[in-house]
Amino acid sequence: MNFRRDVFQAISDPTRRAILSLIAVSSMTPNAVAEHFDSARQTISKHLQILTECQLLRQEQVGREIYYHLNPGKIKEISDWAEQFRELWEGRLKHMDKVLKSMKKN
Amino acid sequence: MAEFVKVTKVFDAAVEDVWKLWTEPEYVKQWWGPDKFTCPVAEIHFKEGSTSLVCMKASQDLGGASHYSIWKYTRIVPLESIEFIQNLADEKGNKKKPTELGMPADFPEDVRTEVIFRQLGKDKTEMTVTEYADFGQMSHFAQLGLDQSMGKAVSVFRK
Repeated sequence: MNFRRDVFQAISDPTRRAILSLIAVSSMTPNAVAEHFDSARQTISKHLQILTECQLLRQEQVGREIYYHLNPGKIKEISDWAEQFRELWEGRLKHMDKVLKSMKKN
Repeated sequence: MAEFVKVTKVFDAAVEDVWKLWTEPEYVKQWWGPDKFTCPVAEIHFKEGSTSLVCMKASQDLGGASHYSIWKYTRIVPLESIEFIQNLADEKGNKKKPTELGMPADFPEDVRTEVIFRQLGKDKTEMTVTEYADFGQMSHFAQLGLDQSMGKAVSVFRK
């Protein structure tokens, strides 16, 4: 399984991003989520399923209702992954600084 | 295309010198390799439409492998900005898919890169490097830390 590829596919869809932003504000039932969209409930429920499968969302049963929550730990993993690439450039900037200092001396 | 990585630094150097970091192979070789890497190859063809080839070689204790990248220049405005597309390549400069080179499938491809130079003074230049990758909104997630308030999270998503 390639977790990261799946997560990136999950967040590449604008409706799914909109769903995440809604659920980031407060946990919601599938019906409450669907009310924000023109799409069929089935479509929204498919999106919720994908987001849950890649663990961006967690489900919680409260009485007869299922609530969806954001899973911040998963989002942290994505940001950590992007961080590696940023660090690569931070290192290069440091090297550039050294190069420029040695240019001056010559 | 979403912003993927953005870094900025102010150098105590003239904009002409900071520019040379990108145009002179001898200088490129001194910075392209991250820590514990060297850059033995920098074939720079600094012209719009042309492609440069650079190599990052790991130190022996990291396995000594060489990673080649190509930069295809799409726009050059002297002393102001450089735009190019980064890809992984073989040692001849042929574009390769990350997976063909044993990199993970989520390694970014066709990374649009923008370098902006801003002269702040005679010997002060700000340089910003931005990489854009086609991951949907991944960079927005990158800004979303675990400790951020939900209110902030919303503003990030809405951008």
